Parts: sequence; structure tokens; C-alpha cells
Amino acid sequence: MSVAEAGVTRKAVERTTRGQQVRELGFRAALLFSLSFGFLALAVLLIDVILDGASLISYDFLTRFPSQIFPERSGISSALQGTLYLMVLTAVFIVPVGLATAVYLEEYADRERWWNQLVEVNIQNLAAVPSIVYGILGLTFIVRGALDLGAVLLAGALTLGLLVLPVVIVVAREAIRAVPSSIREGSMALGATQWQTIWKQTLPGALPGIATGVILALSRAIGETAPLILVGAIAFVPFNPDPNPAEGQYSAIPITILSSVSNPDRDVQALASGAIIVLLAILLVMNAGAVYLRNRYEQKW
Amino acid sequence: MPDSNRQQFQEELRGLEVSALGGLELVAGSLDRALETVQERDIELASMVIADDDRIDGRYLEVHQGILSLLALQAPVAGDLRVVAALLHVIKHVERMGDQCVNMAKMVPLAGHDPPKDEELLQNIGRMGELARSLVIQSGQAFERRDVGLAVDLVRQDDEIDRLNKACFRRALEIGDDPDEREWAMHMMLIARCLERIGDNCVDIGEQTAFVVTGLFREFEDASHPELAPQPPGA
Amino acid sequence: MQENVTQDPEERQRDASASGAPAVPSTRDGQVQTQALEAKGQKATGERKPIFGLEKVGVAYGGVPAVREVDFPIYQHQITALIGPSGCGKSTLIRCLNRMNDLIPAAKVTGKVNYHGEDLYGSDVDPVQVRKRIGMVFQKPNPFPKSIYDNIAFGPRVLGQKGDMDEIVESALRRGALWDEVKDRLKTNAFGMSGGQQQRLCIARALATDPDVILMDEPCSALDPISTGRIEDLMLELRENYSIVIVTHNMQQAARVSNMTAFFTVELDEDEKHRTGRVVEYDDTEKIFTNPSDDRTEAYVTGKVG
Repeated sequence: MSVAEAGVTRKAVERTTRGQQVRELGFRAALLFSLSFGFLALAVLLIDVILDGASLISYDFLTRFPSQIFPERSGISSALQGTLYLMVLTAVFIVPVGLATAVYLEEYADRERWWNQLVEVNIQNLAAVPSIVYGILGLTFIVRGALDLGAVLLAGALTLGLLVLPVVIVVAREAIRAVPSSIREGSMALGATQWQTIWKQTLPGALPGIATGVILALSRAIGETAPLILVGAIAFVPFNPDPNPAEGQYSAIPITILSSVSNPDRDVQALASGAIIVLLAILLVMNAGAVYLRNRYEQKW
Repeated sequence: MPDSNRQQFQEELRGLEVSALGGLELVAGSLDRALETVQERDIELASMVIADDDRIDGRYLEVHQGILSLLALQAPVAGDLRVVAALLHVIKHVERMGDQCVNMAKMVPLAGHDPPKDEELLQNIGRMGELARSLVIQSGQAFERRDVGLAVDLVRQDDEIDRLNKACFRRALEIGDDPDEREWAMHMMLIARCLERIGDNCVDIGEQTAFVVTGLFREFEDASHPELAPQPPGA
Repeated sequence: MQENVTQDPEERQRDASASGAPAVPSTRDGQVQTQALEAKGQKATGERKPIFGLEKVGVAYGGVPAVREVDFPIYQHQITALIGPSGCGKSTLIRCLNRMNDLIPAAKVTGKVNYHGEDLYGSDVDPVQVRKRIGMVFQKPNPFPKSIYDNIAFGPRVLGQKGDMDEIVESALRRGALWDEVKDRLKTNAFGMSGGQQQRLCIARALATDPDVILMDEPCSALDPISTGRIEDLMLELRENYSIVIVTHNMQQAARVSNMTAFFTVELDEDEKHRTGRVVEYDDTEKIFTNPSDDRTEAYVTGKVG
């Protein structure tokens, strides 16, 4: 057929065979198919929710309290404020604790010691523990037991904090580890102490990674329902959360969604869709923020 | 790979050394013919010697260029560097000795076809010639073998040449009263002087040998520092 | 006159008898040598003052010796080069001089390191102060991800140095031969500089803490020849006021800039288990590269080995 096959000349570069091309195409098609599967499912869900709940979204919806008597005049103000307040408190809790743990493990701990190795292994495990177990933990030790705070917002924040703490620690460690040792060495060679090096070089260098990680951890916490139920967040709260987080009852959006969906009244069910949209919107903003932070401030070593 | 590069370098260096020392062979040949020219007063042989010096000059350029190339491209250090530096000196001395042979050959046409005038002077010059030839060969051997003892021994023979040179000078003065003989004697003196220079050049090559081996440059015999003269190695 | 660390008595004999001349160099030789050395900015032997004294210094990582029995002085206002094949412990040794080996938990330093006559590893010695006086520049330029200004100011700030920071920064950049190039962009990020500039920045940064000594661990190996040349020029300038110790793989560099050279080799231990580094020869650079005393040195510098 071709001159090459006749053995007279050889082509400088081998051409791909038909078979190879078909295999390549087939592989790509399979990948796209898998991708679209998940994509499609998500799209269907979103469209359904938006169709149901878009009409509900209004300023009133966000600022009115839930009403069992007049569902058409219900709002998610208490749940929204509860969720936002929870996020703030959780962040206040997880950032210092997570950072301190990560710094200790990366900078100070002697890897050879058995107790440090134990901590290492267990942090990975903790991230995989089901959230309801954290709920039980919170109920037993925070709401009752040692801390005995009662079913207050602070308890909810602490529980959620414990839930996402392993994630923060892992991400913070990655970010700290990403700071090259040459920076540390350079800093110490100039006469900085270890603490000065961590505070002025390592942490600032790791900050974008840590911030991204914290936001992602919070966006996981925001949607957790089971632990909140167990520590006593209430579905129907006709008032905004008390500024003192150690006092008073509170609600959160996931709780509202859960209770609305299980209510026989169709109008109440519609509330769920609205709440879902609000939650998704918050998540979107948080994740977009994380992406923005990562792209803008990411340190390329 | 560093190995083969280094091997190539060593081979090049050795080649340069062989080339430079080969120049000494050329000088010995030139010297033989120049001495024969003096004895036989052969003008044709004289012009051959003069023409042949081109070969020695060519050898000089070749070795010189090779050394420059080696220095530029390979940056030799330590022992290798000393060899390279010594070879520069050696080839220069080779070239000078070649020129001395030419100078000797040039004397002959001037001296004319007259028979030699004085046996004693002729004999001295013959003896000087033998010594000079021996020095040329021995200096090459000493360098090749890196034999410092052999190099130092060159001084002994050179001293003999110097002694004979002085003897020639005295003899030339003696027979210089006769105007006929005077001119011939002057030419013979100049020839003796060429041989004496050849001797000195060989001693210099011996000093280069000592330099390569010890890393110290020391003149074997320095008129202003006679106390530094080396003793020949003990038995 | 010469500091030959492990010259065999036989070798010394060879040197002496070979020339057939008296073994003691004559005054004329001495004069010529002194003149040659002074031309290179080196003081004659009698005028050199030691700044470091290494006495049987050794370093082991987790019990395995990396380098041992290092014993020689390092002189003030000179550039001392440490050369040798890979794994011979030169980088390990230089890190002893500013206690950077303290950062490696498994590293243990034996022997005595004297600095201006005092034991650098004494119990009351503060490693932070050690590193203020003895600065270090690394193989790969490692500027901080901050502005040029903040890079230079970092050392003085953490050490609590008093004085006008602007002046301190300018002075350091001038001494580091970088001021003219960056004076208009002090607030820009240091990562925007070229490799050679970054390394000069690291040198200026080390100079900002007003040290005595600058240690350089293969400072030019990641740089192009032109940048290398500029840094070598800088080293020669700095020699006036500082003492410099440089580890280098590049023998021509050691030959070009250093006054003294120490040649390290790596040997199998007596128990045949570990390879350890040790110093073979320490002498004037000129001697090392024209007429080394030890055959191992000769083999290494002429490229026959390593």
C-alpha cells in the first residue's frame, strides 16, 4: 500500500494506528459520560429546587420569623441568623485551635515519639468519623456532662468545630509543609528563633492555603444537620438568636429544611426549597471566596 | 564523561611532550651536521643545516600552539600545569639551540676553503661538540624520565664545555698574532661560543626537569649565588 | 611555614631530596613567594590572624560519622575554600561554624569550634547571637516572599537592631553591590529578580545583621557564568571587611577567589562500614593548585579522581 510498507523507506515518525485512535476516543467518551452522570443528577436537583422555591425569595422571607399559623408569611430570619452566628463562632474556635495543632505537629513535634505518631494517625481517622457521632459527643460532654452548657448556640458551634477541626488541621499542615525548608533555614540563619520564623515566615507563607482550608471546612460545617439536632437546635424558633451564645435557644437553616420537608402542609414544604436556595447561595459565596483567595494569593514557591 | 575527557587530555599532554622532546632529536641531528660542516668546510652541508632549521621552527610553533590550546580548553593545574609550563621553556630552548646550529653553519662560508689553521683549537671544538651533543640527548632523557639526578649531572658536562670555551679563547689569543690565522681563530671562537650556548640551554632544560618534579624553580648554577649550586646526589 | 595536615614523613623527604638542593627554602624564594601572595591580597603567613580554630571537629548523623578529625584554623579577612568530592562532609562542616547543625536533631558535633578564641558550642552561648555574627548564604537563592526592603530588614528586625531601618537597608544593599540596581524598586517582591540578583540579595541580607563572617555553601552552583562572575567579584570586595568561607564544587572558582584551600576526601572507615569525610590538605591556594603535597590532592585537582 504505502511506500513504507514496501520496505523501501521508513517514515521519520510513526503514525498512530486506527485502533489507537478509536481507543483514545472511547476513553474520552467514557470519562465524559461519568462526569455528566453526576452533573446531570445535580442539575436536576437544582432545577427542581429553584423552580419550587425561587418565587419565595424576598426580603421578607429573609427577615420574617417562621410561622406555623400563617405559612405564607413565614421567613427564615432566625434560622439564617442562627446559621451565620454558628459559622462565626465555629471559625473563632477552629482557627486558633487548628492552627496551633498544625504548627505543633509540623514544627515542634519529634516524629519519632510514639505519642506524636499516635496523634498523626488519629487525625486522619477523625476526619472520617460520621457527623452524628460528633452530635452524640456534643450532647454528652458539651450540652450536658463536663461543660454543661445546655442546648445553646455555643454548644452547637463547639460541636461543629470539633467536627471540622480535623479537616482544618490537615489543610493547615499541608499549607505549612508547602513552605519550603529553604525559607526556614534562611530565616534561622539570619538569627531568628524558631518561633520568630514560624510567626513571620512560615505562617504568612502558609496563610492563603490555611484560609482556603478554613473556608472549605466551614462550608462543610454549614450544612451539617445531624449533630445540630442532637445538641438541641430547634426547628421552630420565632426569635433571633441571643447575642450571648451561651444563652437561649437557636435554629439553623439545615434544621429548618429538615422540619419543613417533613411537615404535611404543602406550603410549609415550599419553605424548604427557599431555605435550600439560601443555603446554596451562602455556600456558593463561600466557595467562590475560597477560590478567589487561592488564585489571588496562592504562593508559588 | 569526565574519564574519557581526562584521558584525552593526558594523551594530548603526552603528545606535546613527545613532540617537544623530539625537537631535541632534531637539534642533535642539526648539531651533528653543523659540526661536520666545520670539520669538512662543506658549504653545501652548511646550507642544508640552515634550511633544515625550518623544521625546528615548525616544531616550536606546533608545540606552542598545542600548549595554548591545552591551557585555554583544559585549565591544567598542579603537576600537569608544571609540565605544560616546562614544555614552553623546553621548546624555546630547542628553538634557540637550532638557531645556534645555524649560526655555526653560517660561519663556514665565511671561514673560506683554507685548511684549518690550528689543531689544538680544532680539537677543543670537536670535544666541545661531542659534549654538547651528549648534553642535548641527556637533557631530553632526564626530562622524559623525570630524573632529577640526571638533570643535575648536566652541570658537570656543561662545566667542561665552559672550561674548553675558555681554553679556546686563550688559544685564539695566542695564535691571533698572525693576521691570517687571526680571522680564522675569531670564527672558531664564535663557533665555540655557539656550542657553549647550547650547553647552557641544555642545563636550563635540566632545571625545568627539576621544576616539574619538585615544584620549585632553582637555577643549578647562578653566578651571583654560587652557594646554591646543587650537589650531585650521593651514591 | 605551610600547614600540611597529613603529609607523610616520606613525602616531606621526597620534597627535600628531589631537588638535590637544601630542603629549607632560601630567603630569595621566600621573598618571591611573599610578593606573589601579597599581590593576591593575602598576608604573609606571620601576619594572618585566625578567626576560627577547629580542633578535632567531627559531625555524626544518628551515630554515623559524616566528617571527622577536622583540625585547622581559618584566618581573618581571607577567603577559605573547602573543596572535595561529593559526600566528603564540606557542607556538614561549614554548617558547624554557625551552629546550623543544631536544627537537625540527629546531628551531633564533637570536638571544639573556637571563634575568636571562645568555644562556639559553650553552654552559655546563644545560637541566635552566633548566627547574627556568622551569616550564611545557601546554594539555591532563597529570598523571602516579601519585598526587597523587607527581605533585607528581616534580620535586623528580628534581632532588634537599633537604628534607621532605611539606612541599614541601603548600607546592606550597597555592600552587596545591589543598591544601584534596585534602589527604585525596594518595595517590589523579591521573587521578581533574576537568579543572580536574588543571590546577591541573599548576600546583602546576610550583611544587614553586621556579621563578622560570611559562610557560603556553593553560592554559585545554581547561577549562570555572568552572575557567578559578579558574585566572585563581590566576594573579593567583601574580603576587605569580612572573613569568608566557601564550599565549592568548582575548582576553578576556588582557584580564582580563595586564599586558602582545604581539600576533603571521603574514606572508608576502619570498620569498613561507613564512608567518612576528612581533611587531607590545607594550604595556600596557590600551593594546592601548583604543587600540592599530597598525592590525593593532586589526583583530585587534576581531575584524575572524583
